[in-house]
Amino acid sequence: MTRYLLRQCILLIFTVFALTLFTFCLSYWFTGEAMTNSSGLFPDHPDYADAFAARAFDRGVVAQYIAYVQHLLHGDWGRSLLDGAPVFEQLKVRFGASFEVIFFVLLLAWIPGVSFGVLAALKPGRASYILILGCSIAGYSVPVFWLAQLAILVIAVHLGLTPIAGQINPLYEIPAVTGSIVIDIALAQPDNLSGAYLSALQHMILPIIVLAVMPMMLLIRLTRNSMLEVLTKNYIVASYAKGMSTRRVVWSHAIPNAMQQVIRQLGSLMSLLIANTLIVEVIFSWPGIGNWLVRSIFERDYPVIQGGLLIIGLLILVSHVLLNLFHAWRYPQVRKDLYASS
Amino acid sequence: MPRPNLYYEERMPSPLERVWLEFRRNAFAMGALYLLSFIIFLSVFGPLLTPYGPNQQFIDAISLPPAWSTAGDVRFLLGTDELGRDMITRLIYGARYSFALPLLVVLISATIGMLLGAVAAMTVGVKSSTLKHILDVLMSIPSLLLALVVIAITGPGLSNALLAIGLVMIPQFLHVTRNAIHDERRKPYVTASRLNGVSDVYLLTMVFFPNIVRVLVIQFTIALSVAIFDITALGFLRLGAQAPTPEWGSMLAQSLEVAYVTPWVMALPGLALFLTLVSVNLVGETLRQAIQKQLEQ
Repeated sequence: MTRYLLRQCILLIFTVFALTLFTFCLSYWFTGEAMTNSSGLFPDHPDYADAFAARAFDRGVVAQYIAYVQHLLHGDWGRSLLDGAPVFEQLKVRFGASFEVIFFVLLLAWIPGVSFGVLAALKPGRASYILILGCSIAGYSVPVFWLAQLAILVIAVHLGLTPIAGQINPLYEIPAVTGSIVIDIALAQPDNLSGAYLSALQHMILPIIVLAVMPMMLLIRLTRNSMLEVLTKNYIVASYAKGMSTRRVVWSHAIPNAMQQVIRQLGSLMSLLIANTLIVEVIFSWPGIGNWLVRSIFERDYPVIQGGLLIIGLLILVSHVLLNLFHAWRYPQVRKDLYASS
Repeated sequence: MPRPNLYYEERMPSPLERVWLEFRRNAFAMGALYLLSFIIFLSVFGPLLTPYGPNQQFIDAISLPPAWSTAGDVRFLLGTDELGRDMITRLIYGARYSFALPLLVVLISATIGMLLGAVAAMTVGVKSSTLKHILDVLMSIPSLLLALVVIAITGPGLSNALLAIGLVMIPQFLHVTRNAIHDERRKPYVTASRLNGVSDVYLLTMVFFPNIVRVLVIQFTIALSVAIFDITALGFLRLGAQAPTPEWGSMLAQSLEVAYVTPWVMALPGLALFLTLVSVNLVGETLRQAIQKQLEQ
């Protein structure tokens, strides 16, 4: 396990290196001056000369890259070209908001996805197969922006059940500290606590359901396929032969082994989900990274584009490596540590 | 058709033929394939079928509902939008932007990516698995995000969006081709051909290609569905096709303001997009299963 851990860490370091190199190069590829693009300071800014020296723009490209990484580590990600606000401060709040959505979506998708998948595998047959395949392909292919529009039109506008956009009713005046609205309400402790939570829930429910459709359908199909494969294995037959009840066979033998396949696919599911989150945030005016990134592309706010890209890339890479590690820790055969050799 | 062969010779269908026979047994997938052919037909011959131009406005017919509703007009089968443009004409023209152009882009980038991938695999350069792992992880960054970055550099526009998607697709095809050839490299039939002294080109086109074409077909359908989604998503974010273009994504974006009054302006382009994506994904999934079944035999 230690070797595997080290290898994954080295992998992470290399990929993060590639990512930062890419974002560093972006400041040269964007139109305009590289220094302004990466720091967000215009040449007439009073701190321009100091920042120019600190970011090593008077020296070679390698020194510039090193200075860039140092600035990143110190939390100085430049300033927005638009309003001069530090990118990193904004990013923390935006990241919280996006992360909250992704977290709840995974929570909502995971439980029904896996349980329906297991149920579908236990009741094989043509009808259930066609139903599952149809649902999963439809859920996978429905364009998320269209689904969001339909949901807003039907549920929010015609039925009036939920608000159309935003994170919480602005009358509650919750200051954005972490960006995650649930934590922010707990920190702010408004007078009407339950009312604030209710409002937050109403705002949150629609984007989360819209986003959860795709991962849930994929999970159902993945779980079903992998369960069907596991159920034909010899150890399942052996467990039945020993006289174990179906419930115990499924719970303690079939599901844990079926999850191995599912976890392996979870990484690509994460990337799809993050791409969808970018779009849905724009539609629901959710104050997350996607919304911010798309706006900054319109406004050519280069430091923000770099920062947003870097943080989303980091989120994907880190979640990928964490999933790999969890997978290897839970299933020794993945890391080829057979016979408890380490 | 009677076979010209008199002898009862066992004729083994080729791997690709077997996949096709398996594919044909699935009625849904065949339906999806017919639908896709119909969309291709529409995008080629669309202008001959439509009576109006995509941006032709009718001042007397603004926001008409589809023809079967009481307020509808039979001149406009699926109604008109808020500027009095015929919806069905725009949808048919939109098939060009939202299906035909992504198809072309994926074809081009598949050709480039597969060539590069083949060259990379044949000139065995970096053998280590480290590069493969790093590429695997970097490939997991969604293509939409990378396309956004390319657009941030080049600026919004349909041609830039197409360029972005094409650029993003090339490494994926390269990676898949290279991996597929790498997996086949040590198989006995390859060694046999090498011992026969065949040239590299022959090895690539006649030995490797028939055996990896299945992987490439699957990757192609995945890439096509991703490309369609990305182009329309960029159009929807107003970073791709710009306003009067009848691209389905940008039509959806424009319908945002009138969706409450005239819901069909929003529902129809989305439905067209949904059906296209379902067909592409269904064809891809059935192909995958057919190949899986064949491998198990």
